[in-house]
This record gives sequence, structure tokens and C-alpha cells, in this order.
Amino acid sequence: MTWTIQRIPEISGPSRIAAYLTAGGAAVAVAGLILRLLGLHPLELGGVVLRDSLGSRYGIEDLLLLAAPLVTCGLSVAVMLRVGLWNIGADGQFFVGAACAAGVGLYGPAWPVLPMLLLMAAAALAGGAAWIAVPALARLTLGTSEIITTLLLNFVARLGVDYLATGPWRDQRSSVTAQSPRVPVPIPRLPHDWHLGRVHWGVFAVLALAVLLALAFRLTHWGYELRICGANRHAAAYAGMKVRRRLGEAMLLSGAIAGLGGMLELAGTVHRLESGLSNGYGYVGIVIAVLAAASPIGCVVTGLLMALVLSAGTALQADGVPSSAAMALTGLILLFAAVGERLAHYRLAVLRPRASGAAG
Amino acid sequence: MLVAQGPGDREDMVSLGRRTLLAAAALPVLPRRVLAAAAFPAVAERDAVIAFGHIGPISDGGWTATHHAAVLAAKAAFPAAKFLEVESIPVSADATRTFRQFIENGANMVFATSEYGDLLSGVADDAPEVAFLECNGHRTADNESWYYVQHWMVSYVLGVASARMSRSGRLGFVGSFPVAAVYGCANAFLLGARSVAPAATCQVILINSWFDPQAASQAASALIQNGVDMIYTNLDDASVLQVAERAGIKCATWSTDMRRSGSNAYVSSLLLDWSPFVVGQVSRRLAGGWSAGPGTLLPVGHGVDRDRWGRTVPPDVGAMADAVRTRIIGGWNPFAGEIRDASGRIRVARGQSMDDAACDAWSWPVAGLTGLPA
Repeated sequence: MTWTIQRIPEISGPSRIAAYLTAGGAAVAVAGLILRLLGLHPLELGGVVLRDSLGSRYGIEDLLLLAAPLVTCGLSVAVMLRVGLWNIGADGQFFVGAACAAGVGLYGPAWPVLPMLLLMAAAALAGGAAWIAVPALARLTLGTSEIITTLLLNFVARLGVDYLATGPWRDQRSSVTAQSPRVPVPIPRLPHDWHLGRVHWGVFAVLALAVLLALAFRLTHWGYELRICGANRHAAAYAGMKVRRRLGEAMLLSGAIAGLGGMLELAGTVHRLESGLSNGYGYVGIVIAVLAAASPIGCVVTGLLMALVLSAGTALQADGVPSSAAMALTGLILLFAAVGERLAHYRLAVLRPRASGAAG
Repeated sequence: MLVAQGPGDREDMVSLGRRTLLAAAALPVLPRRVLAAAAFPAVAERDAVIAFGHIGPISDGGWTATHHAAVLAAKAAFPAAKFLEVESIPVSADATRTFRQFIENGANMVFATSEYGDLLSGVADDAPEVAFLECNGHRTADNESWYYVQHWMVSYVLGVASARMSRSGRLGFVGSFPVAAVYGCANAFLLGARSVAPAATCQVILINSWFDPQAASQAASALIQNGVDMIYTNLDDASVLQVAERAGIKCATWSTDMRRSGSNAYVSSLLLDWSPFVVGQVSRRLAGGWSAGPGTLLPVGHGVDRDRWGRTVPPDVGAMADAVRTRIIGGWNPFAGEIRDASGRIRVARGQSMDDAACDAWSWPVAGLTGLPA
């Protein structure tokens, strides 16, 4: 009788969640040990982090505001993951969406707020889709890896925003960093008596988008075709599906969603176009989508968790943990989560003598 | 201690500059808004929480290191108070989160050691009981004010010495963004140089960051290849000086004494010392009686100054620049017309001069300066 390790291709939701919880627990234990070695009190700090992030009004508000762009980028990556493609360029599409929205907001028509916001959203969706159109074309006609092309376009987008913020759209009054003037069209905030003062309606737009995507993936024929195209393109083509068309649609949709994320961040939170608009949100989106196994509702959960982990980094710094250590701890937790998810795909099994003989 | 930093003294001053100080003393009319602002109540030292948010790492050896030194000075002065410090806060929504975190942690006073604009003021509006001070900021409110230094004056002095240290008259400048702090610094530097060598020129390269040693080194190398033999930089670290040292040219830097990174190239540095101001502000916040007031501009000799001259600077060059420094401290304004911009247009006519507010909001390159948008 021997032990062996078996791989399970698809794991159930509960076992995935159990894997994350175990991994998270292990990460927190290791982090606590490191903090202890740094001469700090891990339990006390843990309490502080939880209190600051979840136990206070500011904490919840900031969590939601940070989660909004992260979840949007996660959704963007998830859409392409459904068809087995990687969108490494959500960051760039996010910037382009924000730039389009800022352009409309600063130099567009002087309409009332709501139509203005819709126009800015439309511009951002179009901008994000346009930004991924070139990688999509290259992928579908020449077979160029979208991983490389979308990644490289991130730098182009960011430098483009740099150009706008330091050049034609520069706010002459700012003195330390280059940014555009304040975009005069803010997304309205939640009603005052909800006690989430700074949170804007864009957060619900993100949630609605996630639900919409989940329904589309699960209930529509289109969503079904996306899944088959992702699982096995040859089988999908054999079944008469228009594979290239579906892949193209998924890519454009993915870019558009990331672009919309840029618009929401610009009009909801930052209000100025600047190169600090995304602090690597597009890259965090990849982690979010992978941890959520490309499930839109899963993205909302992992996005919120990721926002919690990232804001814990800030809380730790304010409590005297060096910034480099805070960053290392954040990375550690993500590493454990990713490893845990992978490990959940394996299980120890006992092989009977006869079976082990067959396995060679 | 700074001039006129005693309690109750600052209310009737717009700025700590010596000239404006004299002007304010002569004028009986006080700014109305300042009188309306109520003083903050006292806080017991052991209950006090003072927070500092930095733009860069405290180990940058430059800008953020000088602010960190002020934090240490305040800690030494008020050992029972609690101090919060967060480094490398990007100018993005993350900044808002960090400042709100300070409020959440019970901060009585928040220092932003670089400009965060509405990312900070939005937080200040939500926390009227907390005192906010923004370095190089522009906004004043009942609970928010700003502080900065007359860096253009020191840059002018460094320009005078640099013109004498350059053989070719081709000066260089490595900066971050096309913003007022960079225009003011590069313009004043070249104007100082042209007061000695009227044909001097200055080529500017911007690297889109305040702290990016790699990009700063590349920019310095590019300037040197273009024939520049004297570089001035207001970036947060010493990498430009290191490149200058290797290339055998001269360099002046910002924030701290950086001569260890290149003692042959080192001309001088624009030294920053925030400690007296920061300790004074914290002291007033704790004692009660802090009020936002107008912004504070620290003058030459009281928060900003040139460093001891480098070992390769001839004594007569140092003495000449120091004579200019002495005149500036005595109240002389070097930014008097006629000053033309890079396109040749007269911006400051003969008989007029640029005051501190104009220097602090500089947005056009002076004649002879290339690389900054007009």
C-alpha cells in the first residue's frame, strides 16, 4: 500500500474557500512570527488592523473605495480568462478609460451631471475597448501572444497619461506633481444617512456589473459559448461556434470594463487625471481574477479581500511597521493564497497494491 | 527658533520672509479670515498623536530624510507624544486613505511633507478638529495651512557659484515634472548664473518622478554628453551627483549635504531644515492656541540655506556667492526686471520685480533655459 498525490482538475467552491482560509491562516501565522521577530506585538497589531479596516466608518468607506477599481480590473481579467486568454493590460485600459473620461469631463459639452457621467462612461468604455483592439486583432489574425502585447501597451498608456498631465492638460496651479485640473463632474455620493459619506454610486455600478456578468456567463447561450471556447477551442469550432468572434468579443469587453474602471476612479474618487491614478490596479486585478477562478461574484469577494490586505499595509505602517516589511507581508499573504488554491487541486490518496501496479 | 515664531506672533504675518515681515509690521490691517479662525484647544502631551505622511522613503538621503529629521526632533522635544509616520505615499487615492488612517488613529495634527492638494484637503474638510499642515501646499482653511521655503533665493546663490564652476557656460538641470517647484528652481539657478556669466544657458531634463535614481542617472549622462559641465538637481537622492563625480564635472544638489557621494563634483546643496518650524507648530498645537493662519514661507537662513562649499570650490567663488546670499538676507530681491522668457518676451519689466508669490507659482522658462514647456 503506497501514498500518492492525485490532481483534481476542478475543485468545488467550498473546498476552494477552505483552501483560502487555511492559506490565509498560515500566512497570518507566518506574518505574526515575522512581526514578533521585528520586536512588535502581532496580536495587538492584528487587532489594530481589523479595527481600522472593518470596525470603523472610515475603514469601511476606504475598503469599498479601494475595492471598486480592484474588482473592476478583476472582472476585466476574468472575462478574458473565461476564453482562456490573459489580459495583462487592464492597467493600461484603465488609464485610457480615465483619460477619455477626463477629456470629456474637462472639454466636453456642459450637460447636467447624469448625462455627462453617461457620456464619460461611454467614452471610457470605447477607449478601453479601443486600447485592447490592437492586441485583439494581432491575436486573432496573426496569433500574437496577447500576454506580451497587452502588457506592453500598459507602458504606452501610462506614458500617454503622463504626457497629457504634464503637457496639454496640465494644471498650472499644482506645484509638486503633474495633474490635470479637477474634472468638474463627480459621481454623486451615497445618501448622507447611510453613514458612508465618501462612498459614491460607482461602487454599486461595479457590483451591478459583476452580477450582470455572472448572469450572462451562466444563463445566456453567449456565456456558454465563451466557456466552451475557453475549455477547448477545437471542440467549440467543431460544434459550429464562431470561436474567433467570441474571443474577439471577450477581449473587447474586457478592455471596455477596465476602461470603465478608470472612469469610475476618476469621476468617483480622484477627480484629476494623473499618472498615480492606478497604483498597479490592473496587475492586482490579475491576482483577483485568478484567485476567483474567473467567477464574477468571486471577483467581488477576492477584490474586497485584496482591498483589505492592501489597506492593512497602510494601517500597519501607521502603527510603526516599516513600509518595506508591510509590503513584504502583503506579498506573503498573496503568495500563500495562490499556493493554497493550487494545493487544493491535489489530494493524498492511498493506492491499493493492484492499482499501484497498474500505475507503474 | 525661527524669527517671530512665538505664540500669537504669526497671526499678523502673511509670511516669515524678512521683507514681508517688515511690510506686515508697517501695515495695521490684519487679514480678516485669520482673525476669524479660532485657536485649537490644548492637548496633553501623553494624549497627543502627531502624524507625518511622506512622499518618498525616509532613507532617500534627501527631501524625505530632512522631514524625517524634523520628526525625530519633534519626538525628542515631546517624548510622551505618539508619532505616526508613513513613507512613500503616492499622489493618488492611496494618499487620501493614508491621511484618513491618521485621523482614524486619533491624530491631533497631520503633516503632509509634500503637496497632495485635494487628496489632503478633502480629508481636512472631514476632520475640522485636526490641524493639517501641507509642505508646498497652497490651501488655507480653518484647520489647514501650508509651509515651504524660499528655495528660489538659494538656487540663485548656487547659480552664481555654478557659473564660475562651469568652463563652458553650459549648465544642466535634472528635475521631476513641469511644475512650479521645478520652474522656480531652474529659473532662479540660471538667473543667478547669468548675473555672473550673461551667456550661460541651462538645459533641463525631466524624469517624471521625484525619486527614481535610475532615470536620474540616465538624465545626468545625457546632459553630460550634450556638453554640460555643471548640473543642478532638485531630485530627492544623490544619483546625479554620483554620475557627475564619475564624469569629472560639477554638481549642486538639494535637501542635504551629499558631498560623501561625490566630493570632487560637489559644489553645494540647498539645505533644508524643517525641525524648528515643525517643533514650533507641534508645541503650539499641544499648548493650545494653534490656528491655521496663512501659509508660512521659511526664509534663507531659517529653514533653507546653501551648504558649506565643496572642497573643489575656490575660496573667491564661495565668497562671491556668499556676498549675494548676504544681500538677499538683507532684503535684496534678485528677481528684478528686466526678465525675459525663453521666447524672448519680456515677462518682468524694468523697474518691476517678482515677489515670493510669483516665484512660488513660476510657470514659464526664463531666456536661455531649454527643456521646460513654455
